[in-house]
Amino acid sequence: MFDKILVANRGEIAVRVIRACKELGIRTLAVYSQADADSLHVQLADESICIGPGPSAESYLKIDRIISAAEVGDVEAIHPGYGFLAENAHFAEVCENCNIKFIGPPSAAIRAMGDKVAARETMRKAGVPIVPGSEGAVDSEADALKVAHRIGYPVIIKAAGGGGGCGMRAAHNDPSLVKAFHTARSEAERAFANPAVYIEKLIDNTHHIEFQILADRKGKVVHLGERDCSLQRRHQKLLEESPSPILTSDLRKKMGKAAIKAAESVKYVNAGTVEMLLDATGCFYFIEMNTRIQVEHPVTEEVTGIDIVKEQIRLAAGEELGYDQKNIEFQKAAVECRINAEDPFNNFQPCPGRIDFLYTPGGLGVRIDTHVYSGYVIPPTYDSMIAKLICYARDRRTAMDRMARALDEFMIRGVSTTIPLHKLILKDPNFRRGRYSTAFIDRLLAASQPLVPAAKTEEQTLKTQAA
Amino acid sequence: MELEQIKAIIAMMKENDLSEFSMEQDGLKIRIKRGPEGFQQTVSVPPPAAVPVIVAPSAPTAGVSASPTEAASAQAAAVASDAEIKYITSPMVGTFYRGPSPDAPPYVEVGKQVDEETVVCIIEAMKVMSEIKSEIRGFITEVLVENGKPVEFGQKLFEVRTK
Repeated sequence: MFDKILVANRGEIAVRVIRACKELGIRTLAVYSQADADSLHVQLADESICIGPGPSAESYLKIDRIISAAEVGDVEAIHPGYGFLAENAHFAEVCENCNIKFIGPPSAAIRAMGDKVAARETMRKAGVPIVPGSEGAVDSEADALKVAHRIGYPVIIKAAGGGGGCGMRAAHNDPSLVKAFHTARSEAERAFANPAVYIEKLIDNTHHIEFQILADRKGKVVHLGERDCSLQRRHQKLLEESPSPILTSDLRKKMGKAAIKAAESVKYVNAGTVEMLLDATGCFYFIEMNTRIQVEHPVTEEVTGIDIVKEQIRLAAGEELGYDQKNIEFQKAAVECRINAEDPFNNFQPCPGRIDFLYTPGGLGVRIDTHVYSGYVIPPTYDSMIAKLICYARDRRTAMDRMARALDEFMIRGVSTTIPLHKLILKDPNFRRGRYSTAFIDRLLAASQPLVPAAKTEEQTLKTQAA
Repeated sequence: MELEQIKAIIAMMKENDLSEFSMEQDGLKIRIKRGPEGFQQTVSVPPPAAVPVIVAPSAPTAGVSASPTEAASAQAAAVASDAEIKYITSPMVGTFYRGPSPDAPPYVEVGKQVDEETVVCIIEAMKVMSEIKSEIRGFITEVLVENGKPVEFGQKLFEVRTK
């Protein structure tokens, strides 16, 4: 087992990793930017080293400084968290070359799944269903049109170099396809330094279902069940739950097996997530694999009782899984709301600033993963997620009632947050019945316009009361 | 010359009803005039970089006497800001070394004049030794890190007094 780990990340995930390390008796070294000097992860770690000014490109993405810090701090392993360098195959390689264990999959697996076009081909060969689409990257307008006519509109153009919604454009006809092709290429170039794009059939009104997998170095792979992440806005997840309200146990078995096959096909080790789309006819398709721990991992932790970050550390230290698929129990229903410092009724405008007052909900079945505290100043330099609220119970209905109750208690004063939007979601009868798809959030936002004055007034009243 | 000494001079002038006092000592010239508008003080420090005593850190507010005039404090303050304190900070993460090798003499010591291109230390990271340049013009007043100790980004390495 490791003696000391460097946490190459910030915010709530850095806090999460440090917590797991403390429980395992592992010493922690935090790295931070000058903008994060007062951050919680710096205060919780045993040691900390400043690695640069605020902007990520000059700090959290600086491979040389992170490796220097690892050497100066004499660590044996680096946990990359999510985002930043977590899916950077080159960084994983540098760690390997410097004899520092990268807590994640081998760099070859990151590469195999990081190239989305190559990943599709690997899945096709392994017999994992993929979305009908182009065979490889699409290099010209003419090719794009050919593919679109073969698979039929609507289609979606995606970047080969990465995910996260960047370089993604839908098209419903020839003229919009040509436009989308060029826009997607330039966006992909900017985001991933790689303009290559591919095309898939756009399957609308779907459920985005992802499977959490764990794999050890001996080749044993298990899945920890699915998470339904259909509630998204602009391809950014807002809320996740497990189990998915629409999966039958038969589908779960089939999709779980496919997820395991996907991981095995790239000789995966450590924690990862296989993302799939489930359409209205019950057909499912692989879309991509995330070769890292994910934001929404707590949902699976509360359902199965398994500490995924500890498993990551154990597996990286060379330990075997120690259990089989049949040993994994799905004991609870869980749901997570991502709380962002954004104004959901003002086009989700980011609201950095000082948190004047913070009250976090509690009670049975309530978990908060956050790095913020009363008086903390949210810097404008990074993403806007400030907390994750996770509620769990024996059944979905109780978990949702609990989430609604917890959201009511949650107070964050000084900045606008997406808590009011989550309250609206929890009140929606279709959501409560488990009847929703990837189109749900846009519809809810459009329909909630008449409710906006009411919600705003409540916020304004609170603001004047607090002033 | 300390503030206390100046205060003592002013007190002496008041006591003995002197209107003007001037003194030259160790490269320092001081002239204090006492007139109907109150005390005025001119302090001049000769061009070569001698230590400017009047603006010693212990008298940052430059209140020269019990009843300083605006002019006196303004002048003293003006002299104080001429000599600024700046810091050479680390541009990287690594291990700090005073000299190019363990037996070689350090690149700089306290009192050494530096300009923008002067190499002041080495920071070693991943077996690569990087020469760190001063990037400030002035002279070293303090070395803030011990030889062989780890440094982080932005950490102060040397205190430099500029002129």
